[in-house]
Amino acid sequence: MSLKGKIALVTGGSRGIGRAITLKLASEGADVIINYFRRTSAAEATAQEARSKGVNAHIIKANVGEPEKIDEMFREIEQKFGRLDIFINNAASGVPKPALELDAKGWQWTMDINARAFLLCSQRAARLMPKGGRIVCISSLGSRMITPIYTSVGVSKAALEALTRYLAVELAPKGICVNAVAPGAVESEALKLYAEDMSLPRLSQSTPAGKLVQPEDIANLVAFLCSDECSMIIGQAIIIDGGLSLAPMS
Amino acid sequence: MTTENILTVEETLRNIVKKITRKEDVVLTPTTTFKELGADSLDVVQILVALEEAFDIELVDEDLKSLNNMGAFIGYVKKKVAEKKK
Repeated sequence: MSLKGKIALVTGGSRGIGRAITLKLASEGADVIINYFRRTSAAEATAQEARSKGVNAHIIKANVGEPEKIDEMFREIEQKFGRLDIFINNAASGVPKPALELDAKGWQWTMDINARAFLLCSQRAARLMPKGGRIVCISSLGSRMITPIYTSVGVSKAALEALTRYLAVELAPKGICVNAVAPGAVESEALKLYAEDMSLPRLSQSTPAGKLVQPEDIANLVAFLCSDECSMIIGQAIIIDGGLSLAPMS
Repeated sequence: MTTENILTVEETLRNIVKKITRKEDVVLTPTTTFKELGADSLDVVQILVALEEAFDIELVDEDLKSLNNMGAFIGYVKKKVAEKKK
């Protein structure tokens, strides 16, 4: 599998799962564009690490929850690179509250960043993929399974997966494969926020694989979905959870 | 240089809080908290981002956890602005 010469955009690509994806794509030879929201120092560090793998890396600060910022980001990409081969929709946010405590503002914030941004970015990305490409969004097992206080994110991820199918059917004739990756419990900062009442060792023990999914596991799957080898996987949400969804915690 | 750059941290913060919380009467005292300003957690994130953009600084979430009021918060922002100027 080689992504040499490809140009990839990873939203939220400077930290956590996004960082692992950025570095995996870079290690496969893709030039990477790292979108980030706040931490410039983290974005610069990830870009530097990507460059050490022999590829070009460029950082763009943009809150993908704001349509005008998305427009600015894609204008910059078009001017600087002229095209895009891979778009990874990874940036996510959320308000950790149960359904009955979630207010309209928290709901809208989450939907704008997680779901609407996928639509708007995919529209812009597809225009930069005249010779085909790959779009992968990072969903979550929470799109179909219930985790306390994960309401807003879980619902937004369900929207992502539905949108993945619609985009996949519209874009397949153009040679653009759209898929989603739905991780279970991934060892990350986000897990500590949403699973604070669950101990990580207990989560690991409850996973049939005996360990939590690592960001690098997600990155490996994403890289495969971005490769030429998987041109016939269209509109799927692929679960990667070490078997957690098959044997949920009691 | 943006307009915000020539304003003080206090003035800039007050303008940002007014815009984000949509409240005209924003009074910052050393003991005021974000909660007393009517800012919820999402407002606070937006305030932080706006301040970072106004002064081209990076506010570290871990540092912010121990800042309980505007006095401490503004002091922290001023320190970051001063570091940036060095």
